[in-house]
Amino acid sequence: MRLLPTFLAILVCCATGARADERPYVNDLPAPEGRKDLEVIQSALVEALPQAREATVCIEIGEGSGSGVIVSPDGLVLTAAHVSGGVGKEVTVVLEDGKKLKARTLGLESETDAAMIQIEEEGTYPFVEIDRDSSTRLGDWVFSIGHSGGFDKDRGSVVRVGRIVRIAHSTIQSDCSLIGGDSGGPLFDLTGRLIGIHSRVGMALAENNHVPMTEYTRNWDALKNGEFIGEGPFAKKPVKGSGFLGLATESHPKGLRVMKVGKKTPAEDAGVKEGDVITSFNGKNFKDRKELQDELKEMAADDEVVLEIDRGGETKTLTFHLGER
Amino acid sequence: MNAERILLFIIGLSCLPLAAQQNLPSNLRKTGAEVVSAFEPQRAAMQKCSAVLVSGRKELVYGVVVSSDGLILTKASEVQGITDLEATVDRTRYKDAKVIAIDPVWDVALVKVDAEGLEPVTYAPTSAVPQGTWVVMNGATTRRSRRVLAGIISANAREIPAEGGAALGVALSGEKKLEIGKVQEGSGAEDAGLKKGDVIIEIAGAKVKKIEDIAEVLKDRKAGTVVKIRYERDGGEFEAEVRLAAKGELFGDEMQSRNDVMSGDFSKRRSGFPKVLQTDIICYSHSVGGPLLDLDGRCLGMNIARANRAETFVIPLEELKEIDARLRETAAKG
Repeated sequence: MRLLPTFLAILVCCATGARADERPYVNDLPAPEGRKDLEVIQSALVEALPQAREATVCIEIGEGSGSGVIVSPDGLVLTAAHVSGGVGKEVTVVLEDGKKLKARTLGLESETDAAMIQIEEEGTYPFVEIDRDSSTRLGDWVFSIGHSGGFDKDRGSVVRVGRIVRIAHSTIQSDCSLIGGDSGGPLFDLTGRLIGIHSRVGMALAENNHVPMTEYTRNWDALKNGEFIGEGPFAKKPVKGSGFLGLATESHPKGLRVMKVGKKTPAEDAGVKEGDVITSFNGKNFKDRKELQDELKEMAADDEVVLEIDRGGETKTLTFHLGER
Repeated sequence: MNAERILLFIIGLSCLPLAAQQNLPSNLRKTGAEVVSAFEPQRAAMQKCSAVLVSGRKELVYGVVVSSDGLILTKASEVQGITDLEATVDRTRYKDAKVIAIDPVWDVALVKVDAEGLEPVTYAPTSAVPQGTWVVMNGATTRRSRRVLAGIISANAREIPAEGGAALGVALSGEKKLEIGKVQEGSGAEDAGLKKGDVIIEIAGAKVKKIEDIAEVLKDRKAGTVVKIRYERDGGEFEAEVRLAAKGELFGDEMQSRNDVMSGDFSKRRSGFPKVLQTDIICYSHSVGGPLLDLDGRCLGMNIARANRAETFVIPLEELKEIDARLRETAAKG
C-alpha cells in the first residue's frame, strides 16, 4: 500500500510541463558554470524573498515553538504535524512584524508530518502560492525560511539556500541547513512557490527533510476538516481516558463540591480550591461524581476544560488543559 | 484487490532505477566541487586576502589581510596566548607573527607579520546588501590554496547581546559579604589577579553588598569592556581592572541549548557583538577570522563566530574599518 504515493506522483508528473517556460534555466544545469548563472539564482531569490518571508510565521505552542507558512488570504497555515501536535488545539501564530494571533490546529497526517492551522482572528493575511504541479526536480535550487530557535524580531526569520538532493515517496531532501524552530517552515522554489514544509533534520548537516506539497494537496479536505490521519510517528492520536484532572468531588445541590485538590495537578495549577463548587464542566452540570468520571473517560490528555465554579457565592471561570494520566 | 496490488507493485518496481537516480551526486550539492568551481574568481581573490594563522602544524583560524606590509585582523580569542604564531598569506609562510593590539569587545586582534607587497582586501561600498546575496568565505586550506564555502546573507544585521549577560568570572561563597569562592579559569577576574577569599566591595564606583547589587551594576555593560573593582584581601583594600566576559563564554558547556547539542562545534566566543551580519554558511569554528567576500571578490566583513550549525556571524565592513583604525592607533602608542 506504501506504493500508492509513488503511483500518484507518476500521474501528477505526467501532467506537468505547462510551466516549463517559468522554470529558471539554472535548474537544468548540472551546476552553475559561473557568475551569470549564480546571478540568476541570486536575483530570483532576492526578488521572491520579501513575499515569502512575509507569509512565514512562528507558531508558539506552550513552551515550544516552530514555524509555518500562510497559504490563503484568510489565514490558513501549513506546518508540520510534529509542530501542531494534535487537532483542535489553541496555538499562537506570530507574524513577521511580531503581531500575535489566536489560531487553532486543524487536521494532520501523522505518517508524513503534514498539518494545517487556521488563524482565528479575522483579517487579510500575506500568503504564498502552492506549487500544485509537483514541478520540482532533483537538483533544483531552492530556499528555506524558518524562525530558528524561536521568534526574534531583530533578527527576523532566517533564509538559507540549497538544492534538492533527494526525492523519495513522501519526502524531499535539500541541503538547506535546518535547526530547531525551523520545523514546519516553508521550502520555496526560485519563483517563490511553496514546494515543501520542513520536517526532520538529518544528523548530517546537509540532509534536511521536507514534506512535499502532494502530501497536503491529496489530503486537503480531510486536513481542513480537522481529521487526524494515520498512526504516527509524527503525532500521537489522543487516547480516550488518558486525561487527568487531579481533584476529588462530592455531590452538592448546585453541582459537585471539591473535597481535595491534588498537588502539582492541572486542577491545582489552574487555581481550583478545596470547597469550590463546580457548577459547569464544559457546559454540563453534574451532580454525581460518577457523571464526571464518565465524561473524563471520553476525554484525552491535553483536551481543554472550562470549569465554572462557585466560590463563596462568587462565580469564576477556569480554562485549562487535562494532564496525562 | 490482489490484482490491483500486483499492478501497483510492478509500477513500483519499474520506478526503482528511477528512484536510484533520485539522489543528487555529492559533487553537485551546494558544497560540492562542481558548484564550488563556479566561484573560482572569488576564490582567487580570497587566496590573496584570507590569511591562515597557524601554531606549529595546527591551523588555528583565518585572518583578513588589511595592509601590504603585513597587518592582519583575526579572531582574538583563537590566537591569544599562542607563542609560536605564524601566518600563511597566499603561498608564503611568515614566521614570528605577533599580536600587536586587541579589541576585546569585538574579539578582534591585529596581527603583524614581516611582509611586503601583500594584497589587502578591497572593501565593498556597503555591507547593507539584500538578503539572498551570494557570499563566500574560506572553508578549508592547504599549504598552497584556499577553498571556498558559499552561502547567502540570511538574516537582518543586528546586535548579538552577551549570552546570559556580562560577568566577572567569579563564583561567590560568602553569605554576608561578597567573598570570592572560585575564580573561573581564563576569565578577566583571573587575569586581573583576583583570588579565592577576596571580598568585592565596589564595582565601577558603586558600593556592592549583595549579589543583586553586582547584577545591577553589570546589567547594561558589554562583554569585553573593563570595570574597576575594589576588593579586600588580608585586611587591605586593593583595586583591579577586570575584563567582563559573556557568561556563555565562561560557562560554555553548562549553557548549551538543544540546538547547540545538535550543532556540535561552535565558537567559544559567539555572543556580545555590537553588530553582525548573518550567513547560512556551515563552517567550522576554526574557519572564522577571514574575510566574507561578495561575487565581485570585495570584502563585506570579517567572519567572527560560528554560532551554530546553520549560522555564521560576520562583523560588517563599516565596523571592521573602525576597529582596524583603532587597533593600529593602539599599536602605534605601543
